[in-house]
Amino acid sequence: MNPLAVQIAGLALESPLVLASGVLGTTASSLRRVAQAGAGAVTTKSCSLAARPGHPAPCVLPWPGGLINAVGLSNPGVEAELEELAEYRRTCATPLFVSIFAGSADEFGRLARRVAAAKPDLIEVNVSCPNVESEFGAPFAADPEACGRVTHAVKENAGAVPVSIKLSAQCASLARMAVVCRQNGADALTAINTVGPGMWIDVGTGRPALSNRVGGVSGPAILPIAVRAVYEIRKAVDLPIIGTGGVSCAEDALQLIMAGADAVGVGSGVYAGGVELFGEINRGLAAFLKERGFASLAQVKGLAHREGRP
Amino acid sequence: MNLVLPSHAMRTLPIQQVATHSAELKSFLFEQTFEAEPGQFVMLWIPGLDEKPFSVSDVRDGRIEITAKAVGPFSRALMECRPGERLGVRGPFGRGFRPRGRGLVVGGGMGIAPLRYLVHRLERDRASFRVALGAHTAPELMYAVDFARVGAHFATDDGSVGEKGVVLNLAERLCADQPVDVIYGCGPEPMLVALQQLADRLRIDCQLSLERYMKCGIGVCGSCCVDGSGICICREGPVLDKAELDRVPDFGRPHRDATGQRRS
Repeated sequence: MNPLAVQIAGLALESPLVLASGVLGTTASSLRRVAQAGAGAVTTKSCSLAARPGHPAPCVLPWPGGLINAVGLSNPGVEAELEELAEYRRTCATPLFVSIFAGSADEFGRLARRVAAAKPDLIEVNVSCPNVESEFGAPFAADPEACGRVTHAVKENAGAVPVSIKLSAQCASLARMAVVCRQNGADALTAINTVGPGMWIDVGTGRPALSNRVGGVSGPAILPIAVRAVYEIRKAVDLPIIGTGGVSCAEDALQLIMAGADAVGVGSGVYAGGVELFGEINRGLAAFLKERGFASLAQVKGLAHREGRP
Repeated sequence: MNLVLPSHAMRTLPIQQVATHSAELKSFLFEQTFEAEPGQFVMLWIPGLDEKPFSVSDVRDGRIEITAKAVGPFSRALMECRPGERLGVRGPFGRGFRPRGRGLVVGGGMGIAPLRYLVHRLERDRASFRVALGAHTAPELMYAVDFARVGAHFATDDGSVGEKGVVLNLAERLCADQPVDVIYGCGPEPMLVALQQLADRLRIDCQLSLERYMKCGIGVCGSCCVDGSGICICREGPVLDKAELDRVPDFGRPHRDATGQRRS
């Protein structure tokens, strides 16, 4: 038996590691490559109804704590995206999660219907992108009511495809947000998106270095925020959680699992670790289970919620 | 766990000197604050406008050189930049040429730029190499005097410099004259495809520099991943060898734009 196998929303994954949306997720070929490198599932870059070129560069910058990005949701539009998905399906059996993004609940519904027809393994609803605020206003994930409406609209249109809502760490109550998502039919939650927005100023010119001026912060700097978020959500609901944020080694992934995550997103870690990171973390997780005598990751999940002395 | 490479973070440097080849073709020199290999590239940022990849066209005397031609809004704005102006110069990025054996250096149009640095490196290392360069007309053959110094052969469409015709004919003849172990190439993709076919026929290796739409430069966004193998051109390229090129089904075919859509 594979000790790293996990179940989320009725899906069997060979590894808990999920390629997070936004990294190497534009084409079938790069998604397949990450799958072959050891991911249990891969998530596409968010797609919208119409094609978007995104923000001008610089749009992704490394800094000592990780990355800051304002790619601006560039994507070829849902119709071209569906061709990529079909190509991926023809050549790779690893579960495929499709991230979607829209400007209103109604548009989210239409997009979900179109994407669901291609039968992805899961639809991830990006309601928490922090770097398109000038275009779309505050993310839906900041407001439980708005988030509930989007969840409802997507569920109405997604048919049998399970739906995960990608939350932001930045809302008044993640517990409340999680409950609202569940009440509106969410099958899983992904937490968290990038944090911020933040800003990085080039001191040589005294100007913000990202063309969008502000961008989402990711990488090691946000791991503790992601761990706290997963912990809070796990306390509030029993939905599967894809814990995402700042993972760059097996210990980071274990923190999220111990906080209550069922699966673990890996995104910005690819910058320092390359796609080989997926294999490395898998080996690290397997070694931990063996060394500590756990038969599966399920035995590790949520350990941080125990009270009293260990 | 390796941390962030400082060279990838934003840094701006004043332009030290501008060498004007023509109104639309210039070289920009910056203080050399990092090492770069021939074939590697930097991301050049014009604050308030955009950031684009440019191959390094030379490194010497403590200066790093970028050569650009006015083709779009960014490069046209670059032509207006003057000494003293600060531009973002992040890098180096990617994997450059890996010189070995007897080389044939083949460049077309703006592809000549990075080969200038390669030729200087081959010269320094006393490597055995010959050079064939092609362009539409004489003004596009930048640094022709410097290349002529190492015995480069030239071809132009109008015969204004060197022989009249395309550089490919020149390359084929040079390969027939003397044995070649590896073809180094940079230029328009149809020329690169022909060079790969030439290398195939001669059963020798080639190292060709590919161009794809790039955004992040650090192997994260996925914009420049090729079809098939998913090789990430900004991180594992831009210079690919023959075995790698065999795993690029969109080599010489339409590839992707800023949205990720395939363009014909």
